[in-house]
Amino acid sequence: MTTSVGPTPPIGNPPAASPLRRVLVRALLSDWFVLWLSLAYFAVLVPFLPTLALPANLANLLSNAWPLLVVALGQTFVMTIGGIDLSQGAVIGLTSTLGAALIATAGPPEVLSKAPIWGLLISEGGGVVAGQVWLGVLAMLIAGALVGLVNGTLIAWLSMPPFMVTLVSMITIGAFAIWLTQSENIRNLPEGYVALGKGDLVSIYLGDKDRSDIPRRELHTLIGQAAVIATALAVALHLLLERTAFGRQVVAVGANRRAAEIAGVPVKRTIVLVFVLSALCATVGALLYSARLEAGRPTLGEGSFLLDVIGATVIGGTSLFGGKGRVIWTVFGVIFFVLLSNSLNLMNLSSFHIDMVKGGVILAAALLDVARTQVLRGST
Amino acid sequence: MTIRTTLLSGLGAAGLLAGLGTGAQAASICFAFQDLETEFWVAGHLAITSTLTEAGHTVIERNANEDANRQLEQVNDCIAQGVDGIIVIPQDGESAVTIVQTAQDNDVPIAVFNRPPSDTSKGIVVVADNATIAAQAVDFVAQQAMAQITDRPIQPLIIVGDLGDPNAVGRRDGFYAALKPYGDKFATPIEVASEWDAATALANLEATVTATPEIDLIFTSSDFLFPTIRSVLEPRGMWVPRGEVGHVLMAGLDGDATACQLIKEGYVDATGVQDLYFEAESALTAILAAVEAGEAQPNEVIADPGFALTADNLGEREMDMWGCVLLADGFLEQ
Repeated sequence: MTTSVGPTPPIGNPPAASPLRRVLVRALLSDWFVLWLSLAYFAVLVPFLPTLALPANLANLLSNAWPLLVVALGQTFVMTIGGIDLSQGAVIGLTSTLGAALIATAGPPEVLSKAPIWGLLISEGGGVVAGQVWLGVLAMLIAGALVGLVNGTLIAWLSMPPFMVTLVSMITIGAFAIWLTQSENIRNLPEGYVALGKGDLVSIYLGDKDRSDIPRRELHTLIGQAAVIATALAVALHLLLERTAFGRQVVAVGANRRAAEIAGVPVKRTIVLVFVLSALCATVGALLYSARLEAGRPTLGEGSFLLDVIGATVIGGTSLFGGKGRVIWTVFGVIFFVLLSNSLNLMNLSSFHIDMVKGGVILAAALLDVARTQVLRGST
Repeated sequence: MTIRTTLLSGLGAAGLLAGLGTGAQAASICFAFQDLETEFWVAGHLAITSTLTEAGHTVIERNANEDANRQLEQVNDCIAQGVDGIIVIPQDGESAVTIVQTAQDNDVPIAVFNRPPSDTSKGIVVVADNATIAAQAVDFVAQQAMAQITDRPIQPLIIVGDLGDPNAVGRRDGFYAALKPYGDKFATPIEVASEWDAATALANLEATVTATPEIDLIFTSSDFLFPTIRSVLEPRGMWVPRGEVGHVLMAGLDGDATACQLIKEGYVDATGVQDLYFEAESALTAILAAVEAGEAQPNEVIADPGFALTADNLGEREMDMWGCVLLADGFLEQ
């Protein structure tokens, strides 16, 4: 097994290449390209949109980035094996609903009494494990893993296309989640659960030191519980992808499945595990999203959510063709994507224009991926 | 007369604009709405934005495209921009609670327009009395049905909205409350789920009418579903105007231009009317008063009593309904 996990094979410069071309090629292939792009974008916009650099806005940027990052990390693994997971949004809807039903501290009968889960998972007194956050989280993770297991098994053992399998999962799991509560949202979540999405650990205040009463809006969250969860997961998955045999197998399967099989890589097992991992990441995303919204929602993850997840992953540099993907790229992709969304909001563009711009940026990132691949082929 | 001037005149614009535009400094108001899918939301959006702009205030608009998480992020963006106040049309009652709490935690006054939070004790909540309005409209068609059908139980059908939305719950409650006094003159109502989505309503209504074609009375929880109902009933010969054999008694709620036209044409018999102009004016007045007074966490429930426009009172009350005002202005021809 000799496949490299690293992003940039040695670049051989053709003798005729100009210095400018060499710089461009190096920039294009750099691990840090998207981060530099984000910083440049930020620096260019700040004079025109000073709000962008306000501490409150930067705190918002971070809080919006954490749940998206968690979900995009799973998508990174799937794309690295040359697949795509369209079911992540539906997993978020299902697991957020299931977890909320189990741990809610009360269940309003006027809203939920007609739901199939009424009396089974939740009743007037709350969920069957009301208030026990970690049991609820465990149940969410098990449900998410099961969805990923089914997806991965169908893809690996029946050789079905990931697009088709996860599309079907998206539809059926999404409908199942809505059926469970008859489209109702589940509130009354325990404070400990809500804190996972909204809880502050470190906040900063940049105003006068001698004020006795600091308004809440001038206190900005620097590190929240969501940040700790997302960062820990990112570090763990980075190590998994870069430092373990499993990580190398993931890259090998994406680079050339047939060659990986011949080299002895357990391809089917790798594919299954990657889809389980993707669904688990979506479940952690469900936890963060439902906690910040203070409700389990069967429709969470619907709409253009997948555009954001896939967009951030592709912008980061994970290849649509498989065989190339790094956690750090996705971190930078999420930063750029969240910054882009935020800046377009601050420009007071309509949501339609914002989605059009996002679509254009994702297309540009996909073209960039093609260009990178061609540059790499030409330089090796 | 343009829609805008129509809406402004409906809002009592002269007095309202004077009140909003003088004495107070120009305010920056964030208007976060969940979508503009129905006539009611389009007209409400126009009334609020044009009135604020005319009065010299800055309006920052945010459309969440029916995504509760996106709406929360947009409201946070507005707070970071330092807006003076927020008017929100939330995705549902649950997300409204979180958004109101977020705004109040950050000392920004917030008004919730038309779709109330599950907990109405926080924020300025402008809401129609959905149960009463629905009951008025349903009672009218129930009376008509009992006058026409005396030899068997009358079969009613209700198209319910997304029951995560307190408006939908109130409308369903009003429907049942209106039929309750008449006991066994009515068969058990058939419930058709719409989730406030025309495609979902179409699929479910198709299935229901195919299985049970003997339906005497239909109440839709929102007028925007009348075209959907028509597309199901018309091929089956059940889309017939009043006075002709086979007419299915029909009532709705909202008071939009389509409902107004259908009442005039005789296909619809009644609709519960939310007073859009009253609601928009109340929301704007309350939020701007809070901004001017420096009140960061105003809490108030403003109820819109509404009324039912029926085939019987059409001549007298037509122009009290916002949809009929828009219809007269050529809204459906644009």
